[in-house]
Amino acid sequence: MVFEFFQGLDQVEITSGLTLLSLLIGGIIMAVGLIIARTVKLLFTKYYAPKLSQDSAKNLGKLLYFGIIVISFLVFTSTTGVDLSGLLVAGGIFGVVIGFATQSVVSNLISGIFLMIEKPVKQGDSVDLPGLGISGTLLDISTFSARVRQFDGTITRIPNESFFTSNIRSLSSTPVRRSEAIVGIAYKEDIDGAISVMGKAIRKEMPYALILPKPDFRINELADSSVNIEVLVWHPREDWDQVSPKLLKVLKNALDEGGIEIPFPQRVIWEAKD
Amino acid sequence: MSELNPNYTNYGIYDINNDLDFNLPNIDIKFRNIGENVFSYFRRDAEDNTVERMIPTKNNKIRIEIAPIRPLNHPSHRTSYLYLELETPVFLSENSQAKIFARCPIEIGIFLIDGENKNSLDFFTCDPINSRFGLYGTPESGTLCKYTKSEIVESYDDSKPYVDAIMEIHFGNELSRGQSISKVIFPVTENSIYYNGSKAIYDSINAVLKKKLTIETLDISARNISTDWAKSPDYERKELVKRLNMGVD
Repeated sequence: MVFEFFQGLDQVEITSGLTLLSLLIGGIIMAVGLIIARTVKLLFTKYYAPKLSQDSAKNLGKLLYFGIIVISFLVFTSTTGVDLSGLLVAGGIFGVVIGFATQSVVSNLISGIFLMIEKPVKQGDSVDLPGLGISGTLLDISTFSARVRQFDGTITRIPNESFFTSNIRSLSSTPVRRSEAIVGIAYKEDIDGAISVMGKAIRKEMPYALILPKPDFRINELADSSVNIEVLVWHPREDWDQVSPKLLKVLKNALDEGGIEIPFPQRVIWEAKD
Repeated sequence: MSELNPNYTNYGIYDINNDLDFNLPNIDIKFRNIGENVFSYFRRDAEDNTVERMIPTKNNKIRIEIAPIRPLNHPSHRTSYLYLELETPVFLSENSQAKIFARCPIEIGIFLIDGENKNSLDFFTCDPINSRFGLYGTPESGTLCKYTKSEIVESYDDSKPYVDAIMEIHFGNELSRGQSISKVIFPVTENSIYYNGSKAIYDSINAVLKKKLTIETLDISARNISTDWAKSPDYERKELVKRLNMGVD
């Protein structure tokens, strides 16, 4: 009875060469392909992905999954005898139209592939994109876009094309970073004394400031009202927020406690005699 | 640092049934029995930073251990390397060996003992001004380390309670010329700490000047010591740390 049922299906022709039975077999092939793809991806994620970097694991997982589905589709078309040549001719013309319409989509896809190959930054890195005005932690680079969690907590999606063509400043690829501040002291003050006071305050109050290389003090400018001193402090790359925003406060308090004047802008006016 | 008080609490294991205070340099520690089967832990440092914990217990008593730990946690755990800059460099003539004792910083760990398990309750440093980072190498590719200037002392007995532990360093020079050594950088996670009373010591290290192919290096490796002093529990998670290839100055 079952045999007669399948024979019946084989006689129902949908288009030339494509019967209901071959469509059913094709459906089973696709379903099995989907199950295999999911199982392979699951096994890969469980056993092999932890040994790879996050980016590589994610991309390889996708490649395996979609690769198996594409192979299933090819097996499906070859077993059912579907002739795709007509589709290819129509697709050629249609492809031109679609190509123009999806230019930016394709561009993002290609940029994404190059980003995955070149790897200028990796998942979890702190990045700064000066051209786009975006700074934050790179969450992921997917097929069409990258996501960055900015330091204010918001998440920004950046099309891969923009990301790829931007200047990318990595904030976490070196073990240390440097923060700078400029303070002005009055002309009457002793420069070496002021530097000594500031150096001691950094040593005492900034536990994340590196002892080696030691903080550097440079005379930045003999300005209108003050001698400007640039202070350069190195710190572990993760601790920018423990140093940079606090540096000026520490320096100001140190100069105040040392009785060193931070002058206001001032102008000397000479009055001409009649 | 203020002058060290000879009456500081010793390192060791303490059974606490009731209120108990500990006397450490610049640090106040108080355990309080605040209710049935509940204790509180309170710590205040010289800068008025405080830490408080509630400790529920099973039988109205707790057992704790105060022990020296590696100086890697304050102000935050960022590295496993220790950079010892010797206050006085050591000169080694060719094919010679020498042994010195050097001060190494420590932090203090408070562990809650539950049967065989020792759980980290708190950590702190009694010498925060000298708990700082330093970089060995260039900013692009160097190694972040905990940095300290290390004084060379006479023996293990010179350990300052709650501030430092003494490490024996075995120097060797296999080069064909004399050389000064002014710093040693190594993963301190390979060195255990031992305590007795209020004194502490580290496992030793070997530091040997060698020529590898054409490059002169200072090869550093940990060397276990045998002692009857009590071994401190580990505060940090165990992790594999690569040894550095130190160049010669």
